[in-house]
Amino acid sequence: MKEEKRKIYYLFSPFLRIFHWIMVVCIITLFVTGILITKPLQVMVAEPTYTMMSMDLIRNIHFVAAFLFCAAFILRIYGFIVNKGDRLFPRVWEGHFYWETIDVAMHYMLLKPHHAPFLRNPLARMSYAGLYVMVLIEILTGFAMYFMTEPSNIGGMLFGWVNVILGGELMTHLVHHYVAWAIILFAIGHVYMVLRADIMEAEGEASSMFSGVKFLEHVPRDANEVETQKR
Amino acid sequence: MEKRESMWDAYLRKGMSRRSFIKGCVALTSLMGLSTDMVSKVVEAAETKPLPVVVWIHGHECTGCDESFIRSAAPLASDVVLNSIALEYDHLLSAACGEPFEAHLDQTIEKYKGQYILAVEGAVSTKDNGIYCMSGGHTFTHLLQKAAANSMAIIAYGTCAASGGIQAAAPNPTGSAGISHFVGGKPVVNVPGCPPIPEVMTGVVMHLALFGTLPPLDSQGRPKQFFGNRLHDTCYRRPFFDAGMFAENYDDAGAKAGWCLYKLGCRGPETYCSCGNLRWFQGMSYPVQSGAACIGCTNADFWDSGANLSERLAKYGPLGDVDKIGVALTAATAVGVAAHAAASVVQKKTSAKHEGEQVTKE
Repeated sequence: MKEEKRKIYYLFSPFLRIFHWIMVVCIITLFVTGILITKPLQVMVAEPTYTMMSMDLIRNIHFVAAFLFCAAFILRIYGFIVNKGDRLFPRVWEGHFYWETIDVAMHYMLLKPHHAPFLRNPLARMSYAGLYVMVLIEILTGFAMYFMTEPSNIGGMLFGWVNVILGGELMTHLVHHYVAWAIILFAIGHVYMVLRADIMEAEGEASSMFSGVKFLEHVPRDANEVETQKR
Repeated sequence: MEKRESMWDAYLRKGMSRRSFIKGCVALTSLMGLSTDMVSKVVEAAETKPLPVVVWIHGHECTGCDESFIRSAAPLASDVVLNSIALEYDHLLSAACGEPFEAHLDQTIEKYKGQYILAVEGAVSTKDNGIYCMSGGHTFTHLLQKAAANSMAIIAYGTCAASGGIQAAAPNPTGSAGISHFVGGKPVVNVPGCPPIPEVMTGVVMHLALFGTLPPLDSQGRPKQFFGNRLHDTCYRRPFFDAGMFAENYDDAGAKAGWCLYKLGCRGPETYCSCGNLRWFQGMSYPVQSGAACIGCTNADFWDSGANLSERLAKYGPLGDVDKIGVALTAATAVGVAAHAAASVVQKKTSAKHEGEQVTKE
């Protein structure tokens, strides 16, 4: 048995972890119900009053999941403000960030056998920024459709401009739909990358989203971004 | 300028009773989408305001909007034209023609400067100096700008006037566009539709006529009382949507039973109009009621929306719609992931071997 000295780094606050798992449940729910809204199932019974999975119910599940997601996102932003260790966006204003991203990207393109040790993988951080942009598009287009049942109410005033910018509400529907697929493609890549890192680097990548800690052998490049040795 | 008669004066001249005048005013109030406590204001306006002069010009279009207008039943279009407005000039409805008719337009513009309502149907053709739409030896752009400059307000009737219409469909050979950019900052009420509902057309012109102000407009310049609701939210077939009962084809049992046309590309969820509330021709029917999916004719660019009018989602080449492409991309990503995983394992093994060799060399 090989013995290694590894340091424990506490990375992810409960805000971030809880948000992450709410997001997972919400995205799966939203995607499945969203596809069903676009391509509804035919109710094959003669008495629709007694069906369980009516379009009405599917839409309501979609809306509840959407509002839950938004609420969780607010919690996440709050956590980002109160926890010094949490990050919302990659530090793109720091020049070395780009070199590190390229370094990690080279590793994932199988051009380099190793990459420098990081607590938060810069390539992953870039992809999460991309995810947040996609989520923001989904929220804006989603509310633009949701609130336009009554365009003169406050929701319609807040989000109605999205329909105007996209050039009609049909485009809003389509953009919402396309970006949903993009998020699913992201999710596949994300799950793979995490499992791969967990298996190949054995730094607790997968379990860190439950426990909040990672175990690193070498001193990571971004060690200064976490509060030193909370536990 | 001689005194112009009000609506009440017109009723008196014709020997009609006060009672029928009040009844007409109540009907007008509800038609304009106002609450009943506005009746007194409508009566007051109808008694005192002189009949508004309307100049109605036609551009690049099919005159279908006018055809729709003359089918207005409440109020009767003939009633509007003869009793409620002073229609001085209309390409389609006027009996006169030729140079005297064109001269009459110039006289009207001169005489009622800043007082007349300009109703415009049809798009502006801009390409090649606008030669694709001409009347009386002038381009329509010229006529529109001349008439708009001296008008009180402008009503853009129909999708053509509001946003270019069918002739603005790609590739738009005549360079057609909506009128709003050619009227020099005059207030424009957009009344899109192909054509608009007759009662909506009369309702808007009567609102302008009686109050002299624009009705409340939404973000696209459409009167809120007629374009404030989605067709989907006012459709009588909405319960079938909520229950999940859809027509899959125009010839299946669902279509016959009058189920929701969502799967057949109905644009109701994206379209704002009064079809669901007012319906057409004295509430007789509207497209969905007649069994045809809404094509969203009040939307700008509805003919170029990407998707076929009978499809919910646009199709792209042999792959089909975005869902099929999404499934294909997901499968491709999964395969890519598996390949990458395999390559990673190979790389790790070779590099470990390599490193092991290096260690033994040292």
